[in-house]
Amino acid sequence: MPHLEIHNLTVSYEKNKPTLERFSLNVEQGELLSLLGPSGCGKTTTLRSVAGFIRPDAGRILINDRDYTRLPPNQRDIGLVFQSYALFPHLTVFHNVAFGLRMRRIPKKEVHARVANALKMVGLEDFSDRRPAQLSGGQQQRVALARATVIEPQVLLLDEPLSNLDARLRVDMRQEIRRAQQQLGITTLYVTHDQVEAMSISDRVVVMNQGKIEQIGTPEDIFAAPETAFVADFMGFDNHFSAAVESARDGKLTVNWGGAPIELRWHSKFSAPQPGTKAEVFFRADNARLSAGTEARGLAGQVILHTFHGNERRYLVETELGEFSIMQDSAGERFEPGAAVTVQAQTQKWIAIFEEMEQYA
Amino acid sequence: MISRWMYISLVILFGFLLGPFVIIFMASFGANANLAFPPQGFTLDWFANVFETSQFIDSFWISLQLGLSSTIVSLVMGMPVAYALTRFQFAASGMVETVFSAPILVPGLVVGFAMLNFFVLLGDMHVMTGLFIGHTAILFPYSVRVISASLRNLDPYVEDAAVSLGANRLRGFLLVVLPNMQAGIAAAFVLGFITSFNNVPVSLFLSGPGVTTLPVSMLSYLEYYFDPTIAALSTLLVIFTVLLVQTAERVLGLSQFV
Repeated sequence: MPHLEIHNLTVSYEKNKPTLERFSLNVEQGELLSLLGPSGCGKTTTLRSVAGFIRPDAGRILINDRDYTRLPPNQRDIGLVFQSYALFPHLTVFHNVAFGLRMRRIPKKEVHARVANALKMVGLEDFSDRRPAQLSGGQQQRVALARATVIEPQVLLLDEPLSNLDARLRVDMRQEIRRAQQQLGITTLYVTHDQVEAMSISDRVVVMNQGKIEQIGTPEDIFAAPETAFVADFMGFDNHFSAAVESARDGKLTVNWGGAPIELRWHSKFSAPQPGTKAEVFFRADNARLSAGTEARGLAGQVILHTFHGNERRYLVETELGEFSIMQDSAGERFEPGAAVTVQAQTQKWIAIFEEMEQYA
Repeated sequence: MISRWMYISLVILFGFLLGPFVIIFMASFGANANLAFPPQGFTLDWFANVFETSQFIDSFWISLQLGLSSTIVSLVMGMPVAYALTRFQFAASGMVETVFSAPILVPGLVVGFAMLNFFVLLGDMHVMTGLFIGHTAILFPYSVRVISASLRNLDPYVEDAAVSLGANRLRGFLLVVLPNMQAGIAAAFVLGFITSFNNVPVSLFLSGPGVTTLPVSMLSYLEYYFDPTIAALSTLLVIFTVLLVQTAERVLGLSQFV
């Protein structure tokens, strides 16, 4: 039985324009599940519905088989971490963390022990007398995490918790949140718009778009095998082109690439396509190689733009199939804008997506 | 590094701002029977005269009562308005904000005249009641503004955080929002009280027989006498106001809200 169940949740802020439409999702006990998507996709609405701050128009929310749908937010037993930390500015770190325990009328002695434990978990045991304003952003978010978990909630909800931190701190905090979550074995819903963050922290990722689920899966699955063009685009497949399937067998299909066939995989969820089916082929910038001149096997093209990124160079190459962004090791040959090149496909990580697929999905 | 010209213009500016106070201050100790500068001799008679003039003592108490009551009532009314304006986006919120700042923008004489028509001539209202309503009305926008400023400094999600931790909405407000509004409320109190205490135009229209505020009675005193009693009283008022603002600044950091 899933620990958190969302059934057919519908939420509309405006009439006839639902932010969430018949949205269903199960989260297992102790699992960390990310809701990933662009702003306005409904991920925060989902989270706030689970927290009880939004009353859905339809649908049900169950935790531990108990119906939470109409329960007021203060009776929900949920830990919430905000993007803005939302610490109480007039209270010390200790009293911030103790707030939820006080509301639950836990005896003073136990409050002290549990707050001390929670602060120790986030490495802030020496900061209990500080005010939030005296802490760095990372420390404030740690306090927020301690405050949300010290009440031992049924479900932990994190709403873009790292967006206000700088890049390096974000990586540290990511690991810290993951460690705490696993240590406590707490069922967690994590909202983010950052695909790297979602992949590195989650057991499973839900990619959302316009109030609906595009794909659910492990980070590995979603990274390697997107089911829809939207997911492929969102998961960092920089390039795509349209092609007609020439043949398909043994789990591989072929399309034309500069006069010769290349073999591609498609998502195992779908049956083999007929020859002539229109496919959208996706690949990342680092899954192709450039060579000088147009004699080699591959797709002929011309360099339009070159940018240097330290370890690699990025080229914008114009071909008959469209413009592609291609990354090369910066130690290799450098191509100037205007140079004629051949794009060689490294197809192990390429993926073909069919239009019908999106309709089935 | 401040350049010489900036330094000089700063001195001129301060002279311009503080000069009148210095003159009044010195004049209040002068022995001449008329207000004169530079003063001749030294006496504290004028200060004694202030406390012997019943007109001043009576109107001081009226101003004090009026200042306290209208400030408190405007705060109590302003708090929910400030809360609503900062926490919710509603269709008319822009209009509401403009309407509430109107008494600041409209000249005091116009406000006073309008209130005279409304309360005294039409309503046959008790003078003190009219003054109280008039002062509450002019203080109300200050209350809303200053309390709004303190609420805008507070992350709106702290309330949600409190609720998610088990507090109901009311406890969330009392335990989390109100403590963070304290400084703003106190600042609005000081500002409101001083505004009411110093107000002339509205009080001028709404004062009546036997019920006058201190600034209005100072004005009418000046029409008959031109001795340094007024200077002495002004000195006392300046000291009173400076002390009040200084204390507020020291304790609350008033300047971050105004």
